[in-house]
Amino acid sequence: MEPVLELADLSKSYGHGERAVHAVRHVSLTVGPAEVYGFLGPNGAGKSTTIRMLLGLIRPSGGELRLFGQTLADSPSPLRRVGSLVDGGNFYPFLSGRRNLEVLARTMGRGRERIDDLLAQVGLAKDGGRKVKGYSTGMRQRLGVAAALLGDPDLIILDEPANGLDAAGIQEMRVLIRSLAEEHGKTVFLSSHLLHEVQQLCDRVAIISQGTMIHEARIADLLRHDSGYRVEASPITVAEAALAARWPTRIDGEALLVDATREDVPDLVRRLVGAGADVHSVAPTQRNLEEVFLSMTQSEGPANA
Amino acid sequence: MLDAISAETLKLRRHRATWFLVWIFPIGALILYSIAIMVQLGRGLPPSPVAPELETWLESAANFWGLPRSGFGRIIVTAYVAIVFAGEYAWNTWKLIVPHRARPSLIAAKFAVSLLLLYAAFFAAALLVNFLGWFPEAVKGDAMPEGITPGALGMAHLKGLAASLPAVLLSAAIAALAAILTRTTAAAIVIGIIVITLEQLFTTFAPVLSLYLPGVVDGLFTMLPGYHLGNLTSWILDGSGRVVPFPDGTTVAWGWEGSLAMVAAWIAGLMALSFWRFGRQDIN
Repeated sequence: MEPVLELADLSKSYGHGERAVHAVRHVSLTVGPAEVYGFLGPNGAGKSTTIRMLLGLIRPSGGELRLFGQTLADSPSPLRRVGSLVDGGNFYPFLSGRRNLEVLARTMGRGRERIDDLLAQVGLAKDGGRKVKGYSTGMRQRLGVAAALLGDPDLIILDEPANGLDAAGIQEMRVLIRSLAEEHGKTVFLSSHLLHEVQQLCDRVAIISQGTMIHEARIADLLRHDSGYRVEASPITVAEAALAARWPTRIDGEALLVDATREDVPDLVRRLVGAGADVHSVAPTQRNLEEVFLSMTQSEGPANA
Repeated sequence: MLDAISAETLKLRRHRATWFLVWIFPIGALILYSIAIMVQLGRGLPPSPVAPELETWLESAANFWGLPRSGFGRIIVTAYVAIVFAGEYAWNTWKLIVPHRARPSLIAAKFAVSLLLLYAAFFAAALLVNFLGWFPEAVKGDAMPEGITPGALGMAHLKGLAASLPAVLLSAAIAALAAILTRTTAAAIVIGIIVITLEQLFTTFAPVLSLYLPGVVDGLFTMLPGYHLGNLTSWILDGSGRVVPFPDGTTVAWGWEGSLAMVAAWIAGLMALSFWRFGRQDIN
């Protein structure tokens, strides 16, 4: 199946020569249909610059960007199949929420039929007639999601969609995003700093730091890749001596944390048994995405692009 | 393109500052002429028994059209167009609409809608001024010249409109480019006003300045649009060009075709720069 989004060596620099600032360096990724793809990185990592390049707001300095198999340089038309929420929703403050969607619908060359349904879907049915300048951050965010869905897009790009939302709003947003992918077959590309949300929402994630993509993986693989194993065996000193020669090992309470992979597990058990230790359990330790993210973004340079 | 125009119209109709800068023309005309009528009728003067000449009366009937091409009118046009273009940067709304439309069509729609609304207001103001100028004459029973027909009146307004177009289009092109380059409403308005004021000052004082910089000033005088705007107005309204004598004994007197080409080149050049710059601009 044709990828919805492909970035190949996408780069963006500001300035020239030694003074050039490289906001994004050689980012390559592919997003498939009906996938929810997370784009993670600390502030200033290049997430927003990359998203703006995807939307044709910023011209890339190098590399290639393909939407539905077409480059933006060939034609801006693939963007007509894209809906977006950038910077928490940018709207005309002197117009009501409904009028803003109407302006957008007219710009897209579409009718107004979906506007009321979308306002209801994002919980703004009652406030649609109010001017946007009176909206809270969360209401703007909801209107931004409605705007992103207005053109019934195949690809939805959301930059920090949960910003300004309360706990209930975040949960509603999560349900909405998952349903877009699972029930309507939409592809969602989202950036977020709420790693817990990303962990629950996304099929795959890319981690970007200092403009460079340092990792891309399925969420499950990412957590497993870096998790290691928690071993309960006794006597613990015997078990530690048996394993420490082969894998980085440390004692954590009454168990051992062993930096081993799934493929290492049979060898690990044999070594314990061979050393005369009683094995009670060997289980993968589940680090959360936040721990993985921090360990990757705090280390220097790209590890696995 | 029609969709972009429709979206732009919806936006501009609802924005107070742009609404005010457009409709200030008919509203201002209504207020000023109402006061003038009250004063004039309050004096209780007898009706004038001598009718003015038809041409003078028609010129007076269409005299509103002098305002858009005047310094004040051009400054209002500049402020209005600057808000229309720079507003999108101030509200950060280019990010909302740019992904859904080719950039040239967004700029073209802005030019089209802002000028159409402006001319709708000018037209309303011109008719109002025409009516309110005639009203006290009719109440007093002043003598009217022979030959006032809808056709003659329409032609007088058409000439006025045509004479205003070059100055209005040039002001709009300057303001739009300033807005796209500076990305801020205030800077765009200030730059627009400065450019237009300098252009008018230079056109007025060029003969004097040429005493100090002969050759350079003469060349600039015919290259810059100021003289050509006045020359075109003279050709349209009076049927003859503007002759400007310089202290060295030379005179500048262009035909309408040459001035039209110069003004058109300036307007097209400035608009093309706006399209080109916006087309390559990063929307951060």
